[in-house]
Amino acid sequence: MVDWASLLQSLANGILIAGLYAAVTLGLTLVLGVMGIVNFAHGELIMLGAYSSFWLFTLLGIDPLLSLALSGVLLFFIGTGIYRFTIWPIMKDPPLNQLLLTLGLSIFFQNLAMILWKTDSRTIITSYSGMSLDLGIIHFGLTRMITFLISVVLTVLLVVFLSKTKPGRAMQAVSENNTASWLIGINVEKTYLLAFGVAAALAGAAGALVSTVMYTFPMVGFKLSLKAFCILVIGGLGNIPGTLFGSLILGITESFVGTYIPEGSGWAEGISFVLLIVILIIKPTGLAGTRRE
Amino acid sequence: MLELKWIDVYYGNIQALWDVSLSVKEGEVIVIVGSNGAGKSTILRTISGMNKIKKGSIEFGGQRIDLLRADEIVRLGVSMVPEGRELFPRLSVRENLELGAAYIDRAYSRRTETLQWIYSLFPILHERGSQLAGTLSGGEQQMVAIGRALMSRPRLLMFDEPSLGLAPLMVDEVFKTVTKVSQEGVTILLVEQNVRQSLKMAHRAYVLENGRMVTKQSIDVDPEKCILCGECVEICPVSAIDMTVNGQPENPGRDLGRRVSRKSQ
Repeated sequence: MVDWASLLQSLANGILIAGLYAAVTLGLTLVLGVMGIVNFAHGELIMLGAYSSFWLFTLLGIDPLLSLALSGVLLFFIGTGIYRFTIWPIMKDPPLNQLLLTLGLSIFFQNLAMILWKTDSRTIITSYSGMSLDLGIIHFGLTRMITFLISVVLTVLLVVFLSKTKPGRAMQAVSENNTASWLIGINVEKTYLLAFGVAAALAGAAGALVSTVMYTFPMVGFKLSLKAFCILVIGGLGNIPGTLFGSLILGITESFVGTYIPEGSGWAEGISFVLLIVILIIKPTGLAGTRRE
Repeated sequence: MLELKWIDVYYGNIQALWDVSLSVKEGEVIVIVGSNGAGKSTILRTISGMNKIKKGSIEFGGQRIDLLRADEIVRLGVSMVPEGRELFPRLSVRENLELGAAYIDRAYSRRTETLQWIYSLFPILHERGSQLAGTLSGGEQQMVAIGRALMSRPRLLMFDEPSLGLAPLMVDEVFKTVTKVSQEGVTILLVEQNVRQSLKMAHRAYVLENGRMVTKQSIDVDPEKCILCGECVEICPVSAIDMTVNGQPENPGRDLGRRVSRKSQ
């Protein structure tokens, strides 16, 4: 006999966490799609966003859901600085150099965070942290629900930005063909700068969300970026619908593994690697996408 | 209108152009001919700002442009139809065309009118408006590339090997288009391996070999004479280099005398 309540509950939890995963992965998708760079330091930008949210809450008492915008703006400037001083000089070099550079940045920021803030796991307890919403047979933690809704808003904002605004459409053009973009009068270098900044801002906002539902510690970004790479591979590299699809698959799978496999909550953390390996073997172009040229 | 003076261009440490000079006047059709790897495309890429010069200067309309970025040069009115067409394959034909004007203010305000003009030049693009550019045939893609460049309302339009990889009928079509565009008052700088056809429409030509101009001045070539008569083999620099005629690589300089003499026997 199927226990429908626990099935639905598990599905709902999966969908809620998928929202956060999508917010975590969108910036990675944007940088990969527009610049063709796999940004290994994306997780560390999220970590910085989580810490900025944590400190704004701890020191100034600003609620994480309000400081989200501040984290976003702060990370936008950190992101453009990182691009201008480290990535821009090697944009014309082989992709391997860019990969190694972002990996180096990732290690640098992890260690910087350990020096500055120690390795303690920190949490934010807000007035609404323990509250939950009851919808008949299933119920949600309020914080998870809010992070999910904000993730949806961030995704919609990004899609609108990319399809309706001039700089957003320039990013799409550059992701399709950067030679042609120069030739139609787009400043491709400025577009890269902006794309990296927007991706970092998304990471900052995602980091603020992370600080409300998870522990904040120096390796939190690394942990999340491994999941984000899994999502990228599931969804096909560098496209937004694929990222959303991949987030759902990963979120729901983790949730089901946690519910239905004995001792599952431990296994759930590792399921992303199983998915990653299986998909790379059976369908390396991603379940949803096609390979980028 | 356009003046290149003694430019040197490098790809990394490898020099691609030596002391190249050329000038294009308003309303002209100028052709640069030369074999594969002679540096023809490099000249166009350099004018459009995609490559930088090490020495010399490039002026357009009396203003030095060699230090400007590619997007700034397009805004001044220099557009290029690049080799391999470089479309946005996953956008529709119409979106490709509209993007041509989207980032250039003076073109953006006239985009509807320009689009109508392009549809009148290439009615097929109107029919295919909503089709993805990547799914068109080579010739149609070339039309989109030309249309997109025209959307920027260029004063100088450069073509990099527009006939490359097209069927002979399409090649004729493309050359007819170039003539039409020229008649609309746009100055043309054309790079081609298809010497015979491109010289037919050109006012003047430059010959490039191994990154150097063969002659310091442009030449006024009569293509019929140059390739068919054999009289000018000794003096005509065009015949001194490898070229492609009707898709077949030919070396008139080497073969022409023999072929002509066989004909006359």
